[in-house]
Amino acid sequence: MDEEKNERIDLLENLEPVDPEEIADFQRAMEEVIPKIAQAVEERRNLAAESRRRGKY
Amino acid sequence: MYTWLTLNSSADLAQLERVIGAEYSPKIVAQRLVDGLSNAVKAVMVEFNYIDKDYRSTYYNFYAKKGQHYRADCVRLHFFDALVTYDPKSLRLSCPDNRLEDHYFGYMVLRPTGIATIGRSILSADVRNGARGFIITARHKVHLLGYKLWIEGFPSMDQHVDIAVCAHAVCWSVLRHYSERYSVYSEHLTHDITMMAQEFNPGGLVPSRGLYDSDAERILQEAGTFPIRVARNLNQPDDPEFYRQLISYVESGFPLFAAMEKRGHAIAIIGHEWRKSRASGPQRLKYAWDQVDSLVVVDDNQLPYLTIPVSGGTEYSAQDIDVFIVPLPEKVFYPATAIDQLTPILFKLGKVIDLPKEEETIIRYFITTGASLRSFVRERESEFDPKLIQLIMSIPFAQFVWVVEFATEPEWAVGQISARAVIDATASYFEQWPFWLFHSRKKALVFNRKSVVLDSATGMGALVLADTGHTAFTRMDRNLRPIKGKQVP
Repeated sequence: MDEEKNERIDLLENLEPVDPEEIADFQRAMEEVIPKIAQAVEERRNLAAESRRRGKY
Repeated sequence: MYTWLTLNSSADLAQLERVIGAEYSPKIVAQRLVDGLSNAVKAVMVEFNYIDKDYRSTYYNFYAKKGQHYRADCVRLHFFDALVTYDPKSLRLSCPDNRLEDHYFGYMVLRPTGIATIGRSILSADVRNGARGFIITARHKVHLLGYKLWIEGFPSMDQHVDIAVCAHAVCWSVLRHYSERYSVYSEHLTHDITMMAQEFNPGGLVPSRGLYDSDAERILQEAGTFPIRVARNLNQPDDPEFYRQLISYVESGFPLFAAMEKRGHAIAIIGHEWRKSRASGPQRLKYAWDQVDSLVVVDDNQLPYLTIPVSGGTEYSAQDIDVFIVPLPEKVFYPATAIDQLTPILFKLGKVIDLPKEEETIIRYFITTGASLRSFVRERESEFDPKLIQLIMSIPFAQFVWVVEFATEPEWAVGQISARAVIDATASYFEQWPFWLFHSRKKALVFNRKSVVLDSATGMGALVLADTGHTAFTRMDRNLRPIKGKQVP
């Protein structure tokens, strides 16, 4: 089988490269927000666990 | 077997008392219909000796075992508009355009249980007094007198009281919607759902002395969904993130099991109504939840499609909801909490993408499928640069994606948006680049997710988009349908 023919078309072909300077702020913000996301997810899980068997319906 | 009742006014529903046996509580049912149905309903077909699979499941396992005699059959009420006529000799239903389905408003099964007799019902929200906004629905097939009819709605029933409580009724509604809407889910009858809440079969009667909401999670999980439980932070009186998540899942087309702890009551949240006027307050980043005026719910104490306000109100409001459970499909790993934290960061790409100013933006996020996104784009080809369409059709999306839409307030008011980010719902929330695509009218960023490690220099590309002549894109509203209230002057 010709593996080359089974490759998906390279999506990025014919697209312009992104200037790293333009996305540097975003990358820094992502690095900062990922721990916050992990913390927020954990806090929501804790709230969910604490609420189990709190109310009867 | 069949009785046709013509209604000149809703008061004529009192005729039900005359034709239906007392075990079906026709007086209470008639009053519920008078209070809840619009005057567009002009005729009721009463179908006697109806065998209802949900009632039968409780009859075989509970009512038939009791000393008191219960009937095995039900009565079913079908609702029609003024254009339908019935010939009792030929048992034929007729309407001028021969499109019976267009004049049909659904059905309600009545159980012979004396109390809480309203069983499986699929009613059109269009004839529900006070129902407004957008709701999650499925098409349900109905066989009547040899006619095959379809009704679009959300299932509802009263709790049985003796063997099932409100939480069972909510789980039944949600799961019946799933089995009708998605072929991957099988059908679960009322008794099945009562049993699914139990760790083991306690034998004989399974009395319901109430359900914990964790039992509801168990039922939804047993049925093949992957429920996520989200609880309000009770130490934070106004927990906006809780409500932003709630509306995002409803907007994704997932009905929610919602619990109100102080009231000891559970409901299904199935829709919402947007505010008619803009939300007041300081200029800041706003979310779809800030634009919600009311929620549409299924409450087993009332006819379906009850509208409850965001706050205040006479009965209860969204502020009374403490916990919701969303029955998700398997392949949604990136939770709404993560999306909520991530979305403000996207403004750091504002200059690259040409986003509106953060403080002038309304953000809306929801889950959809890659197929649905493509279908949406295909239906609105003229809005998109053909090169962007080519990309959207070629990106190897996972089955589910999060879509984040950015709209200015004027755009929001007319159902339009400035930009759209497409995020992989199967991504881990530790990923730096969980994106598939981010585009506005002027530019698109495309991300290569073929490699676990994305090199920002080579793993993404930019595309400058041609002006298509459109000032904005259409908001993607595909998961809910609008309620088209029907009233006769």
